[in-house]
Amino acid sequence: MTKEERLKKRYNSEKRFKFYGILSVSLAMIFVLVLIQNIVSKGSSAFSRTTIEVDVIYDANLLEIEGPITKEALNNAEFYDLSVESILKIFPSQNAKEERQVLRLFSPDFEYEVKRVLSKKPNKINDIVPIRLTASDDVDQLNKGNFPRDLPEDRRRVSNFQLNIYDNLVEQDKIGKKFNDYFFTKGDSRDPELAGIGGSLMGSFFTIVICLILSFPIAIMASIYLEEFAPKNKITDFIEININNLAAVPSIVYGLLGLGILLSVMEFPRSTPLVAGITLSLMTLPRIIIPCRASLKAVPPSIREAALSVGASKFQTVFHHVVPLAMPGTLSGTIIGLAQALGETAPLILIGMVAFVVDIPGTPVDPSASLPVQVFLWSEQAERGFVEKTSATIMMLLGFLIVMNFIAVYLRQKFEKKWN
Amino acid sequence: MELENKKIKIQAKNLNVYYGAKQALFNINLEINQKEVTALIGPSGCGKSTFIRCINRMNDVIDICKVDGSIEIDGSEINDKKVDVVMLREKIGMVFQKPNPFPKSIYDNIAYGPIIHGLAEEKNQMDNIVETSLKKAALWDEVKDRLDEPGTSLSGGQQQRLCIARALSVSPEVILMDEPCSALDPIATAKIEELIDELKKSYTIVIVTHSMAQAVRVSQKTGFFHMGKIIEVDSTDKIFKNPSNKMTQDYITGRFG
Amino acid sequence: MAGTGHTVKSYEEEMQSLNDNLVKMGSLTETQIADAMAAVIKVDKDSVDKIVKNDGSINELRSIIDEQITTVLVKRAPMAVDLRITISTMKISHDLERIGDLAKSIAKKVKPLPIDLPDELVGSLRRLGDLVQKQLKEVLDAYLNKSKDKSIEIWRKDEQVDDLTNLAMNEVANYLQSDKKNLEIATHLLFVTKNIERAGDHITNIAESLYYLIEGEYLEGARPKGKPIDS
Repeated sequence: MTKEERLKKRYNSEKRFKFYGILSVSLAMIFVLVLIQNIVSKGSSAFSRTTIEVDVIYDANLLEIEGPITKEALNNAEFYDLSVESILKIFPSQNAKEERQVLRLFSPDFEYEVKRVLSKKPNKINDIVPIRLTASDDVDQLNKGNFPRDLPEDRRRVSNFQLNIYDNLVEQDKIGKKFNDYFFTKGDSRDPELAGIGGSLMGSFFTIVICLILSFPIAIMASIYLEEFAPKNKITDFIEININNLAAVPSIVYGLLGLGILLSVMEFPRSTPLVAGITLSLMTLPRIIIPCRASLKAVPPSIREAALSVGASKFQTVFHHVVPLAMPGTLSGTIIGLAQALGETAPLILIGMVAFVVDIPGTPVDPSASLPVQVFLWSEQAERGFVEKTSATIMMLLGFLIVMNFIAVYLRQKFEKKWN
Repeated sequence: MELENKKIKIQAKNLNVYYGAKQALFNINLEINQKEVTALIGPSGCGKSTFIRCINRMNDVIDICKVDGSIEIDGSEINDKKVDVVMLREKIGMVFQKPNPFPKSIYDNIAYGPIIHGLAEEKNQMDNIVETSLKKAALWDEVKDRLDEPGTSLSGGQQQRLCIARALSVSPEVILMDEPCSALDPIATAKIEELIDELKKSYTIVIVTHSMAQAVRVSQKTGFFHMGKIIEVDSTDKIFKNPSNKMTQDYITGRFG
Repeated sequence: MAGTGHTVKSYEEEMQSLNDNLVKMGSLTETQIADAMAAVIKVDKDSVDKIVKNDGSINELRSIIDEQITTVLVKRAPMAVDLRITISTMKISHDLERIGDLAKSIAKKVKPLPIDLPDELVGSLRRLGDLVQKQLKEVLDAYLNKSKDKSIEIWRKDEQVDDLTNLAMNEVANYLQSDKKNLEIATHLLFVTKNIERAGDHITNIAESLYYLIEGEYLEGARPKGKPIDS
């Protein structure tokens, strides 16, 4: 082969490699885009809920209040009758069955919604107030176009009568959509329209905070000790091998550990972010130690020598010079480790975070679910309304992961700027 | 001759250094005089860097390095277990081949040593130390308006002078220099040599160098190392004009090495 | 002197060339002195022009050597023995050039001389000339062999040169006294004698430079001097 031919061959293989690279990246991008499009298209509708406008008559008599009408009295009153009275007025119903169907157009929470509006504006007592009450999940899905209307009645969730009322209301412009704040503020619920990630969000938050508080300092200290102070012998080699292996252990094993020790032996409260945090911190520990050690190793020996030559002790050299320089890599590793912990499902299921928890946990020892577990739970539900909620939760999870990664990049750049 | 009037600052006696099983220095006996520049020359791997690192016990950080023998500074043995290495290094500064300023501001680079040794209690005392050190290193005029900028933003020659200022900030008595000009251009080198000329009035300086011409220019006494042994030690004048040992002559005239 | 050669071959070649040029210059100078002395002794006026012309090649060599030395200094920054060789070569070449000039001066003085000079006078001049020629030959050999002992010997013999010079000058004085009309010729002969003595001094210089080249030290003490003439 002549020189020119060899050169041409080299350039050609370079071009081929570039092409393969671009092809791979493009394929990956396409997969990601398809995935995102799929999730977003299914989940974006969860951020709105259907409302039905009803003229609520705040008839004080129906409230059965004895004595003066004070705020306290209103709080204690039962709004069910008042609400039903107003709701049934939207469409004439001929019998009890039809009445029930009218009522079922609304979310079971309607009486509390009516009550809430009055509590905010108590002077509206005895007034007629048009309120947009939350529709039931059947109406919600119907309104979002997820129920095909051409099925026979017995295979539909919405009866003909209800369908009729719906169309009527649409004509009267009483069907609307509102931003679904319930999705963020409410906990889990049997009713999809009332279900929210409030509980699981707090659960995940507490879990991650506990995981961070436990794993970060321990991992950093362990890394610094192993990398800078420990003697290099067979024992430390053994420890290093084990740490590397621990990082590869399937997370469900940590769940078993949590179940076996924290719950059975130490009798910690089940289903709590405390236990989840401890379990996940065990898993995250090696995932922080490894990048932290790599960052420490990457600090050039010339910096250490400079510090030592000026009379710094080993401790001062490590903590004043080496550790700050290792921070960018360590922080990146930590946030990535936490992001992975955020998305863990299997170990949390084992330690019992699958409970159906309605209340939003106020402390880490209140039972709760976590975001990915919530996804798992809702994905198993029959109601159509949970489909969009599941996808919306996945969107939230992905959103958090992206935010955490951006924080990692930002922190890394900030520290690296200090270096340079 | 001029040597006899000088006091001995550092004395190595029967110094042997081992890296694991391999011996790097063989029975070194060497006297470094006070307030004078002593140059150590010799081919690569002959042990000169190992030797100066023994003086401030930088070899301690290398696990497999074993030091046998005596090094006395002002008459006290430094290899004694009771000697505090941190205090020793306050007395002996070091400048390395490749400039290695801390990734901090120019001010903080100089201030670090005094802070950890507790040499300044108030800010204006520290400001004083920083200014004095930078002036002694002939860098003050060039950086006085930008003390907050990172040390790494300076040119190579300036960085090396910053490292020298850093070494001076803790008021050492001895300054060790391991090929300080290897990575610098001729002008930067000339500035450092000028600086060494000035510094020798107040500090004892030991410099390892690969440049014969530099050794002749800056030092008053020269030691020639070869394969871990000292072949000849004498006044710089004698070594470079009329060395006693043939190996020394062969090395400095480029007949081997 | 130095065992193995320089690692850089061109350095080695430069130093060798310097050495060779100096040897060549020395040999030319030797010839010039011999010819000039022969011309004086035999009063051979025909050879004078040739001797004067040949001085040119000695001067040329001196320039070449000067240039070579400048190059070695700037290129090689010579140390130790190389440094001493360089400096000594420069000094020696200057001394050789001066000896060449003195030979030329001596030759020029032959033209006005008569053929009937007294034998004692001619004899003393010949002895002086032979000694100086021998010194020159010896010092050039000493240079070639880098002989320390020889250089000391030559340095010491300067005393003898002074003694023979005094004897020759006495003979010239006698010649003058014998007939006042000889004044002009006597003057020429005095100059010749003095020039030979000065050549001897330069040869002693060469011996000193050679000693420094070899030993790195200077020959101690004042040069041994002969007894002055009694007036």
